[in-house]
Amino acid sequence: DEEEVYYSPYANLEKSAVLQEARIFHDSQAVRENPRKCCTVIAQLLHLQNTGQFLNSTEATDVFFGVTKLFMSDDASLRRMVYLFIKEVAETCNPDDVIIVTSSLTKDMTCDVDLYRANALRVLARIIDSAMLGAIERYVKQAVVDSSGQVSSAALVSSIHLFGQASENAVVIKRWISEVQESTSSNNEMVQFHAMQLLYKIKQSDRLAISKLVQQFSSRNTLKSPLAVVCLVRYTAQLLHDEVSEGRLGDGYQGGSSVASMGYKFLESCLRHKSDMVMYEAARAICSLPRAEAQDINPAIILLQQFLSSSKPATRFGSMKILAAVSNTHPRLVAKCNEDLEALISDPNRFIATLAMTTLLKTGSENSIDRLLKQISAFLSEIADEYKITIVKSLQRLCYTYPAKHRVLVGFMSNFLREEGGFSFKKTIVNSIITLIKAVPETAESSLMQLCEFIEDCEFTMLSTQILHLLGEIGPTTSAPARYIRFIYNRVMLENSSVRAAAVSALAKFAASCPSLRPSIVTLLKRSLEDEDDETRDRTTMYVTVVEEAMEKFPYVPPAEDATPEEIRPDVPEEDDTAAFVLLGGMPISFDKLQRSLQVYQSSPGTMESTAPMTFSSLPVVEDSPEDTSSNDAVDDGFGDVGGADDGAVNGEPAEKVDPAAAVYAIPELAGLGRTFRSSSPVPLTETETEYVVSCTKHIFESHVVLQFNVQNTIDDQRLENVSVMLESDGELFEVTGEIPAETIKYGETGSCFTLLQRNDGVPIETSEFTCMLHFNVVQVDPSTGEEESDAFEEEYPLEDLEISTADFMAKVSVLDFRKSWETVGNSNEVLEKYALQFKDLESAVSSVINLLGMQPVDGTGSLKPNSEGKPHMLHLSGVFIGGHSTLARAQLGMQGGGVVLKIAVRSDDESVPRMVADCIR
Amino acid sequence: MVISALPPLLPRVDAILILDGEGNRLAGKYYGDFLTSTSSSPSTTDEEKEPSSKPNLTVEDLRSSFERQLQTKIQGIAARPDAAEVITVNNKTAVFCGGTAHGATPSGSGGDVRVVHVGPNTESELLLAYLCEGMYEALGHLMGGQTDRNMVLDNLELVFLLIDEHCDGGIILEVDANKLAGSVLLRDEEENGDMMNGAGAGAEQAAAGGQAGGMPAMNGFSAAGFNIGMGARGLQSGDITIAQAFRQAKAQIIAGLSNPEGM
Repeated sequence: DEEEVYYSPYANLEKSAVLQEARIFHDSQAVRENPRKCCTVIAQLLHLQNTGQFLNSTEATDVFFGVTKLFMSDDASLRRMVYLFIKEVAETCNPDDVIIVTSSLTKDMTCDVDLYRANALRVLARIIDSAMLGAIERYVKQAVVDSSGQVSSAALVSSIHLFGQASENAVVIKRWISEVQESTSSNNEMVQFHAMQLLYKIKQSDRLAISKLVQQFSSRNTLKSPLAVVCLVRYTAQLLHDEVSEGRLGDGYQGGSSVASMGYKFLESCLRHKSDMVMYEAARAICSLPRAEAQDINPAIILLQQFLSSSKPATRFGSMKILAAVSNTHPRLVAKCNEDLEALISDPNRFIATLAMTTLLKTGSENSIDRLLKQISAFLSEIADEYKITIVKSLQRLCYTYPAKHRVLVGFMSNFLREEGGFSFKKTIVNSIITLIKAVPETAESSLMQLCEFIEDCEFTMLSTQILHLLGEIGPTTSAPARYIRFIYNRVMLENSSVRAAAVSALAKFAASCPSLRPSIVTLLKRSLEDEDDETRDRTTMYVTVVEEAMEKFPYVPPAEDATPEEIRPDVPEEDDTAAFVLLGGMPISFDKLQRSLQVYQSSPGTMESTAPMTFSSLPVVEDSPEDTSSNDAVDDGFGDVGGADDGAVNGEPAEKVDPAAAVYAIPELAGLGRTFRSSSPVPLTETETEYVVSCTKHIFESHVVLQFNVQNTIDDQRLENVSVMLESDGELFEVTGEIPAETIKYGETGSCFTLLQRNDGVPIETSEFTCMLHFNVVQVDPSTGEEESDAFEEEYPLEDLEISTADFMAKVSVLDFRKSWETVGNSNEVLEKYALQFKDLESAVSSVINLLGMQPVDGTGSLKPNSEGKPHMLHLSGVFIGGHSTLARAQLGMQGGGVVLKIAVRSDDESVPRMVADCIR
Repeated sequence: MVISALPPLLPRVDAILILDGEGNRLAGKYYGDFLTSTSSSPSTTDEEKEPSSKPNLTVEDLRSSFERQLQTKIQGIAARPDAAEVITVNNKTAVFCGGTAHGATPSGSGGDVRVVHVGPNTESELLLAYLCEGMYEALGHLMGGQTDRNMVLDNLELVFLLIDEHCDGGIILEVDANKLAGSVLLRDEEENGDMMNGAGAGAEQAAAGGQAGGMPAMNGFSAAGFNIGMGARGLQSGDITIAQAFRQAKAQIIAGLSNPEGM
């Protein structure tokens, strides 16, 4: 009962009341007599911040001045609260106000009370700039090696903060390296840990120094602090990563380069450290080593396996996470933990259980699937949706690995469609099933049936419409299309307007593709002519008209009763069937690209006045933007946040893109060239830190090339005038026919000059090299006033060579259906070639071939499939060559005798293009 | 490469939170740029969550929304003081000690309060657990073993100081529970060696403070010290008077400390 009477000093605080209380700070007598009260008020102020009742700037400044007066008191606990308060409000106050406490803090920093010194240092680090750091350098440097661990740690941690804030700070702090080095051997574990971090920061940019640091500490074994060893393990891992990425690994981690084997040996020895934290860190570092072989990873796996039965959730959690990731690349190594993994399925921590489950799905063999599925169904009912989603994604992947099991797996997933579950869970299942239909065609018919049953009782409009659309797309191609009609028509009868609209569209697709079904579908469709929803009614009206017209032109003749199966002609529309053309033929270009194409069309000179009719073929070619190509349909492997926030990123509107050719269109002399075919990204012709920074954008026109040179003047006492670039070349392909110099380029500005090249149509397109020289007049100016100090004099500046390659004439344009387009183009102009390439691995060979051809990889063939080691890679490329010739290439790349062998076939609707493209490879 | 993301080279925490059983933040600190700008906040898959693109979302909104998500994941899970639990939330790893399980009444050795450390999802779970366990133990010392909502709220001042001694701008300063409690109670490092053997820090301090300051009513304080000591061992929890006595004791400690030691 006493509890009820007592009120916490922090309950129901009002900001205004606390601010009122804070006036006590100004009353020096009250402060002296009642430091306790002041402490409470400060804590109350902090509590206000903490509960979101932030002080505004005036209030904060006001209170801040009050608090500074509290330095008058010698009360230790009050001083401690003052430090805390200054740190908290330093961010919200005007920095000029905060600076007034520096003298008080500097005084405390040099006094003989450790507590004061440590705290004053930490507060100072928040408020000083690099100039002041220089002023107090001596004290901080001393504090780093102070006998008190508290002071030493405070100095080190403050230095770590300051180091990153400004490069001037870093310069000062680097001078303390011997003090920092000394404190790594402190008796205080935390000091070791902090010293280690600062030491690394100081040496970070110097690879050799880091490698020495790792070597020193790993061999000497002087670090007592497990946290410091954890850091050392991380530095070692980073060192090894760099070693590999810079190509110095040699023959693996055990017997390769000295750095690699030293580092690996240290990591391996840490697997036997006495602290779990260090052992785990080492295991994780080893498992993340690039190009690690099974024998390198194995010792870590053995340790992690033991950790799986730890009593600490964090240990099981962390170990499970690593094993789940390793199972993607080395499922066999992880498979020996299978028994422990099965035990973890009942782990009270559901994240651990889910990871164990998904890992088992990767490491298990084909015949263990049925047993696993049984375990999963028991398991799924008791976990949250986000974990279920991860499991469904694993099942989907499993289906790729064992296509023979698709019936069981899809059936299993569909069962969960009918159970309880939120939208994102259901959506994941539907998406998985749809992806599988596309990837494993055997699943199509059974899966469609499952989905049909799902929409009979589906509460999510979005999923219903998605499935109806899919039915319209692939239902007609199945063995018995008629069986789906009933399911679709039920939707027309029972659902809301969006679903009804989707359903009539699906019906129309069936009618268009299967002439035999037309009469009955038209009857069904006609019932929707009176639908209360505008969209549904309009769609239906259009469909009925189109289909009835087609039925009149091509009446369906059912096969004779006694016809043999051979005589029955397939149930497909005639060649020029209008319904099929209207309802099935898609747009030749995606809507997104159509929009971009129209924008370019509108912005290019002259086109808006032109009277020529606008058709798809007269629209400008638009290249695929990088965002299009990075669309990831990769399956989340459950590593990281289970069911994490991954779908959110796609929602952002793509940034409005500026047509790079706009600069060319703006020049009247060049307007006659018409529309650009494409523009390259800027190619640097100098290093980025030279006096004049020059880059070149190549604008490709039908029979010209405009080179736009962007010149940046970085010399403050010069003004450049009449800037141009002189080109020289041996080739016959191009001839310089015009030049537009940049008039003036002041310091810090970038100006553009242009060179016009005429392309010789009689010469096949090939790579041309140009030597470039920057020509300009220099006027010396006073940097401060800009006044001229000299007459203009001529100057030259050599640039790097410029190359115009065949790939520059190729626009990266993907096709929707590569296989179909490949057949359509035909092999009349096909060129086949075989090359031996000097690459050590397929990955770099693939990306290099893509770059050389300048084409767009399609069907996700632009990167290697995971787990396909040793198998040849098929690369599908598409593009549009200058002149509007659509061009396709199929390439096979395989490893052979230490090199890469490339077989490539190029097709195009133009007879000379495939040869030019195939010759790009060199 | 097997694991794409390497752990951060400098171990840092993104936030330290002290939450009550309902997930209300009693105290806490966010570090670095975690949840400071509305644009960097990752959206959630939870449909009922407000979209992150909402223009007038304040930092405080982001934080409380994060804490709500956190709470839905940790509620009903009790973590032993020496075995922190781990969950992932919003692409962060969160490690916590304390709390009560589903259905259990908030009694027993610990309280319903949870100490949560939030770190990047590439940070080692074991490392975060080590930090969290250290701080939770220190909190236990400071609260006399009674880490429940009221006790923490009554002693917020100590809790603020604890967080500050434990972590500076995201970098871990000290993990050892005894040293942490010692620093918060303004004891010198040298004395820390032989303190805290069984009894709560506050209890010893109470006695020390009483003697040093020459305060009256010594008997009362030793009684308080005794009770708190018992509380720390988990023998006599739930006794209301402990909290009361401790509160008074602490006020005296600090008053007592400040006189002889305050320069």
